[in-house]
Amino acid sequence: MNIALITGGSRGIGRACAIKLAQMGYYVLINYRSNDAEANATLEQVRAAGSDGELLKFDVGNKESVETAIAKWQDNHQGEYISVLVNNAGIRKDNLMMWMTDDEWDNVLGTNLNSFMYVTRACLKDMLVKKYGRIINMASLSGLKGLPGQTNYSAAKGGMIAATKALAQEVARKNVTVNAVAPGFIQTDMTKDLEEAELKKQIPANRFGKPEEVAAVVGFLASKEAAYVNGQCISVNGGLYT
Amino acid sequence: MTREEIIIKANNALADEFEKEIETFSPDANLQETLEIDSLDLVDLVVLIEKELGIKTAKDDFANVKTFDDFYDLLYSKQR
Repeated sequence: MNIALITGGSRGIGRACAIKLAQMGYYVLINYRSNDAEANATLEQVRAAGSDGELLKFDVGNKESVETAIAKWQDNHQGEYISVLVNNAGIRKDNLMMWMTDDEWDNVLGTNLNSFMYVTRACLKDMLVKKYGRIINMASLSGLKGLPGQTNYSAAKGGMIAATKALAQEVARKNVTVNAVAPGFIQTDMTKDLEEAELKKQIPANRFGKPEEVAAVVGFLASKEAAYVNGQCISVNGGLYT
Repeated sequence: MTREEIIIKANNALADEFEKEIETFSPDANLQETLEIDSLDLVDLVVLIEKELGIKTAKDDFANVKTFDDFYDLLYSKQR
């Protein structure tokens, strides 16, 4: 059985990735922090896509929570392993740096960047020993070009892109690839407070993207066909120059 | 297990996993050079030893392991 773990899989891009990987035949582990109803809705859609999965409720920004949840899953599934990891969980707490609080900085770095370290480390040993793995990190346009009001988010996503490149070089010879996807403006709960009508004027495609358009790239990077794509950050942003 | 039993089991496991001749595993030979492994491959070694000999080790345990003799000493000490 091929198994994929998607962090922050209850909604938005994470949900679209869960459905995409289910369509590709993966058994999908859907991580989420608090929204049981939305997580269950994702699981239903995974099943409707012809596969199956289960919910893994833990806070990706909390090291003990991550290690306990993944170790428990591994103990209960001897002989199986997570071969595809999508580090998607993320939050925004925008503010001008002048007014940014320590909590706004720490929480965004914790959930977006520390989580990458905690979850990846917990899954990496099995990938190395089995000599096959796909790690896909959800970066952002913000991590490539920086966006005002998002020094915390830009720092986290920029750090994730750099870590993607470093880790890819560490593990490439074990047939493990590590890539990032950098969505631009995508229609999700995370962007619902943005002025779409105004912002889309800057986007060559003249529209926000759909979560499924990001998931399509994730699906490719998760596939065996992407074996020679490694350490890359692929933008999905409607043509914005980065 | 006696130290001799550990040596036999460990050598067989290493030869299979890393595709080397047991004859090259002399006590004074450098472990990592002989097996042609680096620190990333230590994860394979740690998992192999746990699986084949039931002995748990960690990366830090290998800090002072240079030769095969050091390696056998580590395994012998860890099993107790």
